[in-house]
Amino acid sequence: MKRSFLIVILVMIVITSTNIKAETKLNMELWNRWTYQQVDGDVTKNEMAVKRGYFRLEPQLTSNVKGRFNVDFFSNDGSPDGAGLKLKYAYLDFNNLLPINDATLTVGLMKTYFGTIYDWSYPTIDKDPSDKYNFVSSTDYGMGVSGYLPQGYGSYAVAVYNGEGYKKTGGDINTDMNYLANLRVSPITGLTVGGSYMFKSKNDSDASDREEYNMIAGMGKFAFGAASITAQYLTKTTSYPNDNSLDDVSDSVISLMPMYKLNNKFELVARYDIYDPNTDVDDDGYNTAIGGVNYYLARDSKNSPKLMLQANYQLKSYEDDNSDDESTLMVQLRWIFSEEI
Amino acid sequence: MKFKILAILTVLAVLAVPAFAQDNRLTVAGSTTVLPIAQAAAEAYMDMHPEINISVRGGGSSVGIASIIAGTADIGNASRHAKTKELATARENGINLYENVVANDGIAVVVNPSNSINGLTTAQLKSIYAGEVQNWKELGGPNKPIVIISRDTSSGTFEVFNNLVMSDSPVAAGALKLASNNAVATTVSNTPGAIGYVGLGYLNASIKAITIDNVMPTKKTIQNKEYPIARTLHMYTNGKPTGLAKKFIDFIVSAKGQEIVEGQGFVSIN
Repeated sequence: MKRSFLIVILVMIVITSTNIKAETKLNMELWNRWTYQQVDGDVTKNEMAVKRGYFRLEPQLTSNVKGRFNVDFFSNDGSPDGAGLKLKYAYLDFNNLLPINDATLTVGLMKTYFGTIYDWSYPTIDKDPSDKYNFVSSTDYGMGVSGYLPQGYGSYAVAVYNGEGYKKTGGDINTDMNYLANLRVSPITGLTVGGSYMFKSKNDSDASDREEYNMIAGMGKFAFGAASITAQYLTKTTSYPNDNSLDDVSDSVISLMPMYKLNNKFELVARYDIYDPNTDVDDDGYNTAIGGVNYYLARDSKNSPKLMLQANYQLKSYEDDNSDDESTLMVQLRWIFSEEI
Repeated sequence: MKFKILAILTVLAVLAVPAFAQDNRLTVAGSTTVLPIAQAAAEAYMDMHPEINISVRGGGSSVGIASIIAGTADIGNASRHAKTKELATARENGINLYENVVANDGIAVVVNPSNSINGLTTAQLKSIYAGEVQNWKELGGPNKPIVIISRDTSSGTFEVFNNLVMSDSPVAAGALKLASNNAVATTVSNTPGAIGYVGLGYLNASIKAITIDNVMPTKKTIQNKEYPIARTLHMYTNGKPTGLAKKFIDFIVSAKGQEIVEGQGFVSIN
């Protein structure tokens, strides 16, 4: 932990000493959360914590080059100091470098353009489905090209990643890269459909315990007036090319999330996830129903939240009748300090 | 427990009864270039219709368009066209960014009145802003270092200048980037070696407009598209304007409204 803080301090010294003359945005965000959970009538969790905080710098290095540096810190029971620290983003965006209109080349610890994870703004306190069900990490070291279709008819991204994610647990270390393609199309205003494909692997190609993952995400969103509904289907097939004794395993997620904006202060959100960890096995999954309210106490000039109160009730029901349902109430205060220098 | 939680959520939902927009209130936000037009037009319109309340604020073109996408303003002012990214975000959120052209404008290149330079070519201007030419004497002017004044990258005026003059190549790292037309005009008027650019409505006696490719930015050269750094000014709405937003925009594009546009130093669309 001490070493992590030392790294942060060193990075900040380097950044402040480089005499950045261009515009730089500073951001600080904190999530203070109370979680109350019951299982079969027993209280299993009753805690208050800083679940997440981040410090972000976004220097506009030239009119065509912009950077983003993001450190995440969070309460962590597993750490002796009770807190953890991760480098979440560290990338540069190069605009107008490629001979393609509205295309951006990104290099570094960058977003994973899979499903809805890359533009997930936490309308529910719970994570994006791809993140929650361990399909992909939200960021990873890599290089990619992203952009927009003419007249805003959609967006696309192709990227190559290390494959370990930003947490760098070492679990997926190998000499292979991960490959991703993502496309979203909005044929009519308010209707968006899209899909992502990612190939990921664990252990080297000649290793007996080699694992390969083929992941597909399909999404659709319909927004009309104050209402919207987002649907997503995720599937991952795990195969073991060097071990004939093992069959492929497929898991899947179906997620539906309707939202209704009551006014500029309040929005209602609901979400229903169906998770099946192995489509060949019965009664091994669980469903999660979420109902919540988001209250925006203050916004900045671009309408981004500055102070936000979220209340979510979450019911996790197992398909296996022997497992008890989990009821969780979460109340979270998110506050964001933002300044441009 | 479950029942209590659901009850709390229900109560919260009921408390959050939407504040329906009132028919006699209009919110306008965005570009600092369009701001004087919106303010003057709002004052004139409210004089004619005392029951109407029009709130006008700046923030920049990005804020104007973001406000329409977020639904926090009825009209979003922008001194540039909506970017592809903004169009895509709007489409995903069920918002139809509709562009209403309300005025013509030229981006006047200005220097301190003490500077003997009276004109530049577009290529020379680009060289200055790229940092390749650093002293006025290289262009036949005084032996003074050039102080480059630009706008912040979220500014619509910057976007247009960057596109029309710089062809999207980078502005010199040492350029001073300011947040408004007024700030640019004031800085240029106080700095002998400075060069900057402002909307036509911000020209005043304390700064000197110069010719670009031998053309001075005037009403005539902007209307006949002779002046090379010209643009249209916009008020964005969600779809074709309706109700009070339509009445207000109709007023601005009317003959009387365009008189206000010209009175603020901009160029009529008629």
